[in-house]
Amino acid sequence: MSSPASEARLEPFRLRGGNFNLLVLRLLDPRVEVIVPALADQFRRAPGFLRNAPIVLGLDDLDPSAAPDFGHLIAQLRSVHIAPIGTTGGATDVRAAAQAAGLPPLRAAGAELPVAAPAAPAPVPEPVQEMPPPPSDWQPTMVVDQAVRAGQRIWAQGCDLIVRGTVNPGAEVIADGNVHIYGALKGRAIAGGAENLSARIFALNFEPELVSIAGYYAVRDGLGDAPLGRIVQVCLIGESMRFDRLG
Amino acid sequence: MAQVIVVTSGKGGVGKTTSSAAFATGLAQAGKKTVVIDFDVGLRNLDLIMGVERRVVFDIVNVISGEAKLSQALIRDKRVDTLSILPASQTRDKDALTKEGVATVIEELSKDFDYILCDSPAGIEKGALLALYFADQAIVVTNPEVSSVRDSDRILGVLQSRSKRAEEKKDPVKEHLLVTRYDPARVEKGEMLKLEDIQEILRIPLLGVVPESESVLKASNTGNPVIMDAESSAGQAYKDAVARFLGEERPMRFTDAEKKGFLSRLFGGRAA
Repeated sequence: MSSPASEARLEPFRLRGGNFNLLVLRLLDPRVEVIVPALADQFRRAPGFLRNAPIVLGLDDLDPSAAPDFGHLIAQLRSVHIAPIGTTGGATDVRAAAQAAGLPPLRAAGAELPVAAPAAPAPVPEPVQEMPPPPSDWQPTMVVDQAVRAGQRIWAQGCDLIVRGTVNPGAEVIADGNVHIYGALKGRAIAGGAENLSARIFALNFEPELVSIAGYYAVRDGLGDAPLGRIVQVCLIGESMRFDRLG
Repeated sequence: MAQVIVVTSGKGGVGKTTSSAAFATGLAQAGKKTVVIDFDVGLRNLDLIMGVERRVVFDIVNVISGEAKLSQALIRDKRVDTLSILPASQTRDKDALTKEGVATVIEELSKDFDYILCDSPAGIEKGALLALYFADQAIVVTNPEVSSVRDSDRILGVLQSRSKRAEEKKDPVKEHLLVTRYDPARVEKGEMLKLEDIQEILRIPLLGVVPESESVLKASNTGNPVIMDAESSAGQAYKDAVARFLGEERPMRFTDAEKKGFLSRLFGGRAA
């Protein structure tokens, strides 16, 4: 690793849920020319208040028939360094007008999800008569019905692997997906091929020689305080392996 | 049609040849026409254990290469007249064996014998693979020791994938576990693997447990298969195993440590 810039990351982004506390600016009057000067007046009394703060516009108190000009409102709010990022509550038409101007409806934690406009009831899906055909890259899980003995190596290429017996010492089971062992794991289990970081290993009796996920591995001596002899799930958290006892 | 039985283990020194000699003798004593073949070409031992080393003229390699007839190479045992031995060559190596050659020998022996025992060499190379290839049944000899169990496990995998029965997708080779050199006292002290531990890994039916016994070494050195020594615990254990193999019910013996009496503790006597 010569410089940080040359360190290739495996993925460009990650999607995670997060909870934030946001101020809600409840609009009591739809007229922009009334709202903005009143805000400016407030700021003169409390300099720095709300400066550059993201806020959510509360629409509950507005008359459903009189939506404000949201495009104009957004521009005016930004001119006084307030960043509106979405709306909450309000009538369907008002929300739709805000969404058209670039302010999506947000759901307050614990509140019901605002129904997207138009608020027609969601159509009840027709009962599916036949299962749709699986996508073309779908691979059936490989199932091994017997013990895997020393020196044997089983590779579930491009799919998950289920072993119904023991994986004995000196045996090796490999899957590009997850590895499930409904017996004792006493040999090696390798999941996730070269890059599937979310692959997992499950075993009813966890006594492995080695476990590996997507190239990260742990040998028996490196298992630390893993719950040996138990029902265990192995997964990858960042660059370290986690051993969860399932029973 | 004769039954072909391979005596195998993967690991060396666990008692394959001793067990082959004892088992073949036991089957013959039970009235079965039995031949035992030494597949350990280059390191032949079976003829010594059977006490026929001075009567070897031709061997299996001579037969395969057409230098001798099968009847010339077979040695008839002097103690049990239903028993014959087909020795290995001392001067050649295992490359002298071919699958076709072995097939011909076994086919010819099938006409005259009930049981054909194949004494496998150690390892998983050509000699061992040929010894197990034609097997209908396998006796897997294992010592109560982790490396032996591991190697037996390996050889079971080979039996299930590379035998003729596996290749032709017939019924699998019938597997039997024979635990040898078992010392219950050392098992109790935790120095040896327990029978249950061995079975937990190998998961094949147990044919017998042969206790560690000084009579085995004596038997080998005098060229008398240990099963002929009815006094010894090992001899009795082999007798039991042969009886079970032939379908008799016999309780397992020699699996628990004997409570030493006062006198034997005093003089440090060991089981014969």
